[in-house]
Amino acid sequence: MGLEQYKGDMGMCCRCSCCKFIPMQQVQGHQYSTVCPSISRFDFHAYSGGGRLNIGTAMLDGSLKYTDKLLHIVYNCQMCGACGVSCNYAMDMEVQEPLNEIRIKCVEDGKTNPALEKVIKGLRKQGSMVPAAGKRGAWASGLKLKNVARDKADVLFHVGCLTSYDKDMHKLAIATAKILKKAGVDFGIAGDNETCCGGRAYQMGYEKDFLRQAKKNMAMIKKAGVKTVVTACADGYQAFKVLYDKFGLKKDLEVLHISEYIDRLIKSGKLKLRKKTGMAVTYHDPCRLGRMGEPWIHWKGKKIPGDRFVFDPPKEYRRGSNGVYEPPRDVLKSIPGLRLTEMTRIKEYAWCCGAGGGVGESNPGFAVWTARERIEEAASTGAEAMVTACPWCEKTFNEAIKESGSSLKVYDIVELVENAL
Amino acid sequence: MALNKDVYKAFEDVVGPEYISNDPAMMPAYHQVQFAAIILPGNTAEVQAIVKLCNKYKLAFRAVCTGWTGMFPPDIIYIDLRRMNRIVEINEKNMYAVIEPYVITAQLQAELFKRGLHMNLKGAGSNCTAMLRGHGHLDQTTSGDDRNHLAIEWVTPEGHIVHSGAAGSVDEWFCGDGPGPSLRSILTSAVPPGVTPGVFTKAAIKLYHWPGPTRFPIQGTSPNYSLSAIPANFMARYYSFPSVEKMWNAEIKLGENEICFELMGFNVSMVAANITTSNEEDERVFQEMNREVRGPGFFVIIAGNSAADFEYKKKVLEQIVGENDGQSLKSVEDPRIEGILLCQCIRVSASIRETFRAGGAFNSIPVMGQRDLTIRWAVGAGKAKEPLIEKGLIVPDGGAFFGWGVEQGHLGKTEIFCKFDPANPVAKEAVEKWQQEQSKRAFDERYFAMTMGPQDEIGPALANYHLWWKKVTEALDPNHTSPDAGALV
Repeated sequence: MGLEQYKGDMGMCCRCSCCKFIPMQQVQGHQYSTVCPSISRFDFHAYSGGGRLNIGTAMLDGSLKYTDKLLHIVYNCQMCGACGVSCNYAMDMEVQEPLNEIRIKCVEDGKTNPALEKVIKGLRKQGSMVPAAGKRGAWASGLKLKNVARDKADVLFHVGCLTSYDKDMHKLAIATAKILKKAGVDFGIAGDNETCCGGRAYQMGYEKDFLRQAKKNMAMIKKAGVKTVVTACADGYQAFKVLYDKFGLKKDLEVLHISEYIDRLIKSGKLKLRKKTGMAVTYHDPCRLGRMGEPWIHWKGKKIPGDRFVFDPPKEYRRGSNGVYEPPRDVLKSIPGLRLTEMTRIKEYAWCCGAGGGVGESNPGFAVWTARERIEEAASTGAEAMVTACPWCEKTFNEAIKESGSSLKVYDIVELVENAL
Repeated sequence: MALNKDVYKAFEDVVGPEYISNDPAMMPAYHQVQFAAIILPGNTAEVQAIVKLCNKYKLAFRAVCTGWTGMFPPDIIYIDLRRMNRIVEINEKNMYAVIEPYVITAQLQAELFKRGLHMNLKGAGSNCTAMLRGHGHLDQTTSGDDRNHLAIEWVTPEGHIVHSGAAGSVDEWFCGDGPGPSLRSILTSAVPPGVTPGVFTKAAIKLYHWPGPTRFPIQGTSPNYSLSAIPANFMARYYSFPSVEKMWNAEIKLGENEICFELMGFNVSMVAANITTSNEEDERVFQEMNREVRGPGFFVIIAGNSAADFEYKKKVLEQIVGENDGQSLKSVEDPRIEGILLCQCIRVSASIRETFRAGGAFNSIPVMGQRDLTIRWAVGAGKAKEPLIEKGLIVPDGGAFFGWGVEQGHLGKTEIFCKFDPANPVAKEAVEKWQQEQSKRAFDERYFAMTMGPQDEIGPALANYHLWWKKVTEALDPNHTSPDAGALV
C-alpha cells in the first residue's frame, strides 16, 4: 500500500501552518516558538509538514516529476515528528507515517541521496551506520561483561553503532555498564556480534535494509533467550520498541531506554545516587525517546463512508502524548544537588538536535544549524550544561558548540548518573 | 508560464538565489497551482522591488502570510511573506504593537501577556498572522476588523511605499487616521469584492488591557492540555436558554452592563469540538451536551481586574442569566473543561477542531451586523441544513449557528457553516447550493447582503459600491498586477 494508504490523511491537511510551530498554547513569546527545523531553515512551504503532505498527494496522482529540488526537500528533514504533534493537537490524521512513505518511495524509485547511499552500503557490509573501524565490542575490553552469545543473561544492553565505534562515545557504554553492574542487574552485551538496530536506515527511507537488520536482531535475541533489551541510544530505543512492533517483530520483548531502567532501579531502591553536584542543567528530549518513542498502536480498519474522516474500528492516533518524558527528568532530580531548569520547547514539542533522518550525513551543515538553535535555547535557561539521552544528540550538539564557541557543556544522562554513584 | 531567464534573474537579484524558486516540485506544496515563481522577500524594500518588477514585466502577484486561505490564479508571482516575521515594536504606553506580516497571533499575544496587554484574536486562529483583519472570540472587548489596525505600511500595486495615519507624518504608529493620510476606506480587507491590492508590510495593532496571568499554567501533554488552576478572577461558563429571544435578550443586557471579557454565541457542537481530542469523542460529547441544553446558548468568560470586580461581574451575570431562564452547562463548570475552554478561546481560537477536524472542510456564511436581525436569518439557515444532515451529507450539529457580540454587543457577528467531506462531490454540491440559497434568502428578505455574492445583483442595492471599488482599484493598479484578494491572507 505504501503512500497510497495515506491519501485520505494527506488530503485532510487544511494548510493551517500549525505544523511549523509548537502547539499554540505552549507559545511563550516570539523566540523559540517554531518547531520544524526544515521550514525554519529553508523557508519555502514545501519544507513544512503540510507542504510535504501536499507533495505526497502530487506524487500519488503522478503529476510530480523528480527534480533535484524535490529530493532536496525530501532529504532535508530530520523526520523528527514535531510537525505531527502540532498538527494532531487539533486534527485526526497521520502526518509522520506518510512522510516516512514518501522517503521509502524515493528510495524504491532509485532517487536516493549519495551520502545516505554511502551509509547504507556500509550498513550492508559492516552492520553499522558509522564507519566500522576496529571491533564493535572493543569498548568493553577488560570490563568482564557477559556476552549473550555464550552467557545467559536477563537483560541485553544494546549499545548501538555510534557508541560502539566512536571512541569519544565509549564513555557512554562504559558508564551504562557500570550503572547496571552497580545495581546488580544480570545483563549482557552482544559484543562483536551486535549489529545495527536499523532504525536510522528506516528514517532514511531504506525500509528493506531496516527489516533485514530488525530480523537479524530479533533472531539473535530469540536465540539468547533475552526478555528485556535496554538501549542507551534513542534511535535504538525507537527501533526496538516502536518500529519492530510496527512490523510485527517485537512480540513480547520488553524494551527500555536506559533512563527508564535507571529510573526503575532508583525507585525500587536498587540504585542509590549519593554524590552531590552543584550543577545547573537543562534536559533535551531526544525525538526518538520522546514523541517518536511513543508505543506503536496496531490498527486495521476502513473509513466509514460519509461526512467525517472516521474509521471502523475507531482509529487511535499517536499524538506524542506517551513518549518517555518523565523518567529521565526523575532520574536527574534524583541526583543530589542538581538543579534542573526547563527550556521553552520540551517533551512532545522539543526542538530536534538536527541529526535525525540522515540529515547528519546528507547535510551536516543543516544538522549543526539545527543544533545551534538548541544550544542557544539551552544557554538561555542559565544552565551550564545540557543533558541528553542519545549519543547522536550529544555528537551533534558538541559539533555545534565547537562551531559556535558556546561554553555550554553537553552530557549524556548516564554520565551524570555514573558520577553520582 | 515559465519566466524567461532574464526576468527570473531580475527577481533573483532582489532576494538572492536562496529565496526564489520556479521548480515544479515547489508548486504542489503551496496550492496545486503552477506559479511563475515563488519568492520570499526579507523586508519592505525587497517587496517594493518585486512589485516594481511585476509592473515592469506585467506580471500579476499575490502576497500571503501563513497562507491558509485564498484562491490563486496560475502564472502569478507568489510572494510568500514568511521571512518578514519581526515584532518591530511593542509600545506599552500608547498600547500598540508594530509587526511584520508573518508574526503569528500566538507569538505576539504571548509577548503581550508578559506586559499586561492583549489583542484581538481572530477566528482563523492564533496560528495565523497577527496582522490579519477579522473577528473572533474576544470581539466583545477588543472589537474586530479594521478597528484594530492603526498606522499601516503599504506597498501599493505600483510599488510605492505608503505610510498611513500617524506613520505618514511622524515615526509613530498610534493612529490610522492622522496626523498623516487616512486611507481607511482603501486599506481594508473587508471591502469586497476583493481586499486591498498591494502588500501590507507593517501594521500597528491596537492593544488592550489584559487582566490575566503572564502565562497560563498549562499541564499535560498534547493534545490533553489543561490548566493546573483557573487563573484568579477568571471564570468560563456556557449558558443555554429556552428560546432564541431569551438568549438574545441576555446577550444584549450583558453587553449593556459591560461585564463579559468574551461573549461567544457558541452552539454546543462547537463546545464539544473544542474540549475533545478526536472525532469520535467529539460526536459522543456533542450528543451528551445536546441532551443537557435547554436550547440556543452562548459561552462567556468573566475576567475581573480585582476580586471585587470579579464578584460584581459574576453577580450581574448570574442575575441576567437567571432573568432570562438561562441554565449553566454543568460539564463546563468542571474546572478541567473550564480550563480547556479558557485556553482554546483565548490562546488558540478554536477554529481547527471546530471546522476542519471532522471532514477536512467547511463552507461558511459569515455576516456582520445587527445580531437580532442576523440571528433570525440564521435560524432559517439552520433549518435548511437539516435535510443535508438527514442525508448524511454534512456533520450533524443540530442545525446550529453561532455568533457573538462586538464592542459589548452594539454590533455583532453571526455565522453558520456546514462541515463536510470535500472528497464527496455530492456533499460539496449540496453545501454550495445551501450556501447560495441562504445568501440569496438573506438578500431577498432584506436581512443582509453577502457582498461576496453576485456583485451586479447586490451592488445596486448598496450604492453601487462594487463600481466604486472597481474604479478605486483601477486607479491604484493600472497594470493589473494585483488581482482580486491581492493583499494578506
